[in-house]
Amino acid sequence: MQSKSSKNLAESPKEMTEYYKHLSLFWTDIIHLMSSKPQALTSMGPMRAFATNSKKISVELIEINESLVGFNQYMTEYYKQLSNTWGIAQKKVNQKSPEIPQDVEHIEAMKRIWIDIFDNDFTELFDSKKFGENYGKLVSKELELTKHWNNISNVILQSVNLPSKEEIDEVYKEIHSLKKRVSKLELELKKEKRKNVQ
Amino acid sequence: MYNESNIDPKIIEEVLKFSKNIIEAPKFASAPDEISLEVTPHNVVQEIDKTRLLHYEPITKIKFKTPLLISYALINRFHILDIHPEKSWVKNLLSQGFDIYMLDWGTPTSMDKYLDFDDYVNGYLDSSVEYIKNQSSTEKISLQGYCTGATITTAYATLHPESVKNYIATAPVIDGWKDTTVISNLAKHMDVDKMVETIGNMPPEFMYYCFSVLKPFEQGVEKYVKFFKNIDNKKYVDNFLRVEKWLGDTPPIPGELFKQWIKNIYQDNLLIQNKMYIGKERIDLKKIDMPMFTQVAVGDHLVSPECSMPLHYAVGSNDKTLKLYPTGHVGMIASSLSQKKVLPEMGAWLAKRS
Repeated sequence: MQSKSSKNLAESPKEMTEYYKHLSLFWTDIIHLMSSKPQALTSMGPMRAFATNSKKISVELIEINESLVGFNQYMTEYYKQLSNTWGIAQKKVNQKSPEIPQDVEHIEAMKRIWIDIFDNDFTELFDSKKFGENYGKLVSKELELTKHWNNISNVILQSVNLPSKEEIDEVYKEIHSLKKRVSKLELELKKEKRKNVQ
Repeated sequence: MYNESNIDPKIIEEVLKFSKNIIEAPKFASAPDEISLEVTPHNVVQEIDKTRLLHYEPITKIKFKTPLLISYALINRFHILDIHPEKSWVKNLLSQGFDIYMLDWGTPTSMDKYLDFDDYVNGYLDSSVEYIKNQSSTEKISLQGYCTGATITTAYATLHPESVKNYIATAPVIDGWKDTTVISNLAKHMDVDKMVETIGNMPPEFMYYCFSVLKPFEQGVEKYVKFFKNIDNKKYVDNFLRVEKWLGDTPPIPGELFKQWIKNIYQDNLLIQNKMYIGKERIDLKKIDMPMFTQVAVGDHLVSPECSMPLHYAVGSNDKTLKLYPTGHVGMIASSLSQKKVLPEMGAWLAKRS
């Protein structure tokens, strides 16, 4: 027999995820608070930093599941579109060339028909709005998965006092900006020199 | 019921020959990594960040005073225009007596994710033009752009018309909304902000995917069947492997540049509407007032003719020519047609104005 709370949970996958997220955060926080005092003794080491940030990993892992559900949904639709197009194209080939080829010339002709029909039908699919939209969403979900993975990696990097992806990006941005200013000044200087020579 | 005796013995012969060709293929063909591309001899005359300015050694007497700088597609390597000695765009122009430079965009790394249109147009390309002007003691040079490289040169020609004597646009990517290719459909539905924020540069693997959906059965199946059927044809195999090596060697594209590209060209189509900004400057195609030559391939399935041709009508030049060729995107620049028709016509046009 199901309890009232588990019945409610089963009503919506989103609510279920939220519930488990809360459950995980609650226990991670409580355990962290209970155990943080002895850990403070080793506050300079990686385990302390990792323990402090470990709940971020829990959150990311739970959210990964949400992204994974979406990813699977769009991935299923992606293969459904490919498989439907394959079926339709194969029917067209069968209608155009119903007999089994029995000589080399016939095989070549049939191969040409097969390639032309399949290329046309698949190009039509790849060019369609429904494919473009679904593929865009599929890539978007894949990027969300990557982002969660990046966030988990950041926790591990921070636990050993290494810069996170965002911090490295900031450095790249600053270098880019400085290089751009220097390059523009150098180019202006070259142009001025040439004008003066003339 | 099917009668076995009806099978043409030639079919068995063909199947056996094909199997033998597959087994013996390594004897006849090099691995793509072992192939030396034999690019036309050149000197690296300037290096900025990862870019290199290449100056090709003349193979005949230089007949024309104005040098030509070529900007190739950012998704390729510089040898796309120098893929085979017999089909080399660069070599053909050298043999016509032109002084040729090429801007090699190099291989961006994660550190280059913030490079944008401004860096490419007003940085790398402008620095190269300045270098050539200094070396050749000329005030203006001729400029040619191919594919996405032509989008960069088009922007340059609007912002620095005083430096461009003649402009040649070969299969330029200009009007994204009119582009009827599969790539344009994928680009229109892309969450490019999320992509760049998450992965930085546009990875080559994603480009491979985009190419693989173009004529998937002709390019993904039939092409390789033909390769194994012709495995004992040295010329065919050599050419096939060179093209394959080139196709499989796509550099990443800097994230910011890619983002601007997808948004400004394919999603919002700002370039052709004269609403695109590079740095703080607006790109107004009417400012292209120098002689202009546009080359379009009618069978182009990477950049459709409808995407390229609007440039011809949008510029302010009085002296402008639009040429259509019955070939595809790569066929226009690396085929016997390009050697026999495309390049001689371009050379004749350029010679009159150089």
